[in-house]
Amino acid sequence: MRFQDAAKDARAVVYAGIQADPLVWRLADLLADATAAQRVLARAVMNGESSDVEAWRVMFPSLFVVSAGVAAVNPERTLSQSILAASLEVAARGDQVRSQFRGAIVEALTERLLARRVPASSIHRERRILFDGVAAEIHPYDVTVEAPGAAEAYDCKWGARGISADVLHQLYDARAHAADEGERVLPVLVVFDARRSCEVRLARHTAPRTGTRLVSLESLDRIAGRRPGRTS
Amino acid sequence: MLLERIVSALADLVAASESIDDEWIYVHDLETVWVARLRAVGAERTMDPPAGAAAAIGALIDEAHRIADPHRAIDWLSTLPQAALVAIGEDAW
Repeated sequence: MRFQDAAKDARAVVYAGIQADPLVWRLADLLADATAAQRVLARAVMNGESSDVEAWRVMFPSLFVVSAGVAAVNPERTLSQSILAASLEVAARGDQVRSQFRGAIVEALTERLLARRVPASSIHRERRILFDGVAAEIHPYDVTVEAPGAAEAYDCKWGARGISADVLHQLYDARAHAADEGERVLPVLVVFDARRSCEVRLARHTAPRTGTRLVSLESLDRIAGRRPGRTS
Repeated sequence: MLLERIVSALADLVAASESIDDEWIYVHDLETVWVARLRAVGAERTMDPPAGAAAAIGALIDEAHRIADPHRAIDWLSTLPQAALVAIGEDAW
């Protein structure tokens, strides 16, 4: 088993520009430190239509309310405001670009969270996993952890709707082919959406997923080796 | 009662999503599970909603009604209940 950079075709070059956009990294940094409720805010804004900051504050009162006994400026409210502002910047990019940004943000967030658990030097992006006698997958894995005996392969999705048979097969195959060579790969599907919605999507698929771990919006902190918190 | 307004908005989002034929079953399954979740939360709650919850629910419904694109509507079918649960001080899942 070995890892290899994905070929740089035209699509990959365009997408690499989005992945490198400072806004993607700013949001990933903010969301890495966010509560689950703040992540729901980000998802709503980047899925939404309104560009009115005040309207979003009304929709998420617990994240922005100034109440008696709480300082008008506090770190959690400041983070909420930063997440709202950055999410609105993504929403303003237009439908097609917004969609690409959202995917890149989930990948960057996954990388950020992984860096809290494993050495940064072991984390890679857009990599293929090659096995002897097995044709290489067309699509690279979004994020990989390349550590002897403890490799991990991540596919990252903005929403549950992005879960497809192809994705499930590719993740399952990584684990199965690695096992054939006496190696270990942990396949992980990261979805920036509620597990409930992911389970609805998965229920209609017959693709194998034994051994594939699902990390959803409420459990993102597990990527960093932390227990998830509540939203309320 | 607040959550029943979200249930009604979810039905509107389903209607907005139905032109995507390939996702018809997914859309209706999403509605089924989230309506069940919202109603279960509503049945169990004994405390009044927190300050700002009614306005939040109204604003979330307004936002849902701004969504005309069917793909965006499918995204909101999952997002709206999570945001509504956060607004009333419940766990979003």
